Amino acid sequence: MALLEIRGLTKTFGGLTAIDDVSFRVEEAEIVGLIGPNGAGKTTVFNCVSGFYEPTRGRLHFAGHEITGWAPHRVCRLDMARTFQIVRTFSDLSVLENVMVGAFLRTGNRAQAERAARHVLELMGLAAKAEMRGGSLTIAEKKRLEMARALATKPRLLMLDEVMAGLNPAERQAAVELVRQVRAEGITILMVEHVMEVIMPISDRIVVLNYGRKIAEGRPETIARDDQVIAAYLGEKYRGRH
Amino acid sequence: MKKTHCSGQTLIALALALALVVFPFIVSSPVTRNLMILIFLYAGLAQAWNIVGGFAGQVSLGNAIFFAVGGYTSTLLLQHAALSPWVGAIAGAMLAMILALVVGWPVFRLGGHYFAIATIAIGEIALALMANWEAVGGARGLTIPFVRDSSGRPADTWVWFQFNQNKLPYYFIALALMFTLAGLTAWLDRNKPGFYFRAIKNDQDAARSLGVNVLRYKLLAFVLSAAFTALLGTLYAQYLLFIDPESTLALRLSVLIALVAILGGVGTVWGPILGSFVLIPLGELSRAHLGGSGRAVDLIIYGALIVLISVFQPAGLMGLGRRLRGK
Repeated sequence: MALLEIRGLTKTFGGLTAIDDVSFRVEEAEIVGLIGPNGAGKTTVFNCVSGFYEPTRGRLHFAGHEITGWAPHRVCRLDMARTFQIVRTFSDLSVLENVMVGAFLRTGNRAQAERAARHVLELMGLAAKAEMRGGSLTIAEKKRLEMARALATKPRLLMLDEVMAGLNPAERQAAVELVRQVRAEGITILMVEHVMEVIMPISDRIVVLNYGRKIAEGRPETIARDDQVIAAYLGEKYRGRH
Repeated sequence: MKKTHCSGQTLIALALALALVVFPFIVSSPVTRNLMILIFLYAGLAQAWNIVGGFAGQVSLGNAIFFAVGGYTSTLLLQHAALSPWVGAIAGAMLAMILALVVGWPVFRLGGHYFAIATIAIGEIALALMANWEAVGGARGLTIPFVRDSSGRPADTWVWFQFNQNKLPYYFIALALMFTLAGLTAWLDRNKPGFYFRAIKNDQDAARSLGVNVLRYKLLAFVLSAAFTALLGTLYAQYLLFIDPESTLALRLSVLIALVAILGGVGTVWGPILGSFVLIPLGELSRAHLGGSGRAVDLIIYGALIVLISVFQPAGLMGLGRRLRGK
């Protein structure tokens, strides 16, 4: 049984249909990439799955539970975590405290939460900045912090919303390494991305959205050759490049 | 680094506690004693406010309502059921907690500013209600009669929570409450509820995405705030042996409570105490030296302070201290 199953997901806002009848699955230990032009509905899918939006139609199943319409904090308790497209750091808290908020999901004990948080910071290469105020980090560091914070909740599925945006090539390489490491820990990843050079190499499968509809799904090599995807998003220059 | 900072704080706390315990035996002027009691009272009210307003970031401008609930509950139970005000205090605190839940449940779904407005409205409604409700004293309020000793003089009695000859116990009770709240705040600061409060204050949705039940924690903060504010209400009623709507429900009281915390530094352990030590003597002084119009002048000072703090130093006096130390 798939870890995450999205069936016929539709979300409308008044007269606007943001996503229409989107269905796909994410299997355990996969890295699935969700791509598409701006406005295709990628973040809407995220928001529906993580409980921030209530779906208009469709069903969501996660880890054997039906989670359609569940509140965000409930979904998180079921081992699903997400990051946000525009980073939402807890600015007034230190880096360590930020991650501890995540860690406190799994324990009520302060010392334990601190230990768990420090461990994650080590993994993410942020240990040196533990006492710094969250608001004072660079954008790349904030994105890593947000990932660290989400990881501290010990999720089975981690949803990353454009973690690569705004990063320079060196930072991107580091981020790709991190994503690989996270998967190596056994965590399943669903990531929204615009940077093809990043998402194509690391994804096991790609799902492509356009105007709220799924137009293609498959392995990266297949997607890179798909006419519809090229026309809608990738452009001829990218054909078969991966 | 954090460990030494913590034991440094504990040391300061102990030194302060010691100084304040010894103080009334060195300075025995009743005027000073009264001032200190007021300082402790407002520090306590500000600390209670700080839990929901400073830590969780939910600005309540109606905390006076819990102050009134505490004072009125214990007084009415005393008058009608001959219940000791100590028991009445607990009853008042519980009633305040229920009220906080009833008010918070619908209102916390509203965003920050709407919550503040709703608390102002509820405070004003309560004031109008109590001022016109004869059964609880109406606008004239309630007087608590002296408990007299065998020779007819007003007595000192722990059972009935009155100290008419030697007012020192009021001082120590207020001091004890202030330090209890400081201890609670320090505990919150270091543990899960406090972390969750601060996460909610910084970014509610991010907190939700990390599994925080935002509504539940906002209610927790509000309920804690309400309970302690009510206890202080009972202390106030027993200290003055008088309680009325104007002195316990006016908006200016709610604003003053918030201002003491904001001036001192929201979301800090010592801020509200610092704020009280600065603001209350200031208020009393302006009232004393500027005669009959003192009432308005201290309001002017409060207003000016709100503007100054918001523009120049939102982190309050504690923030100023941090800035000076070069953090």
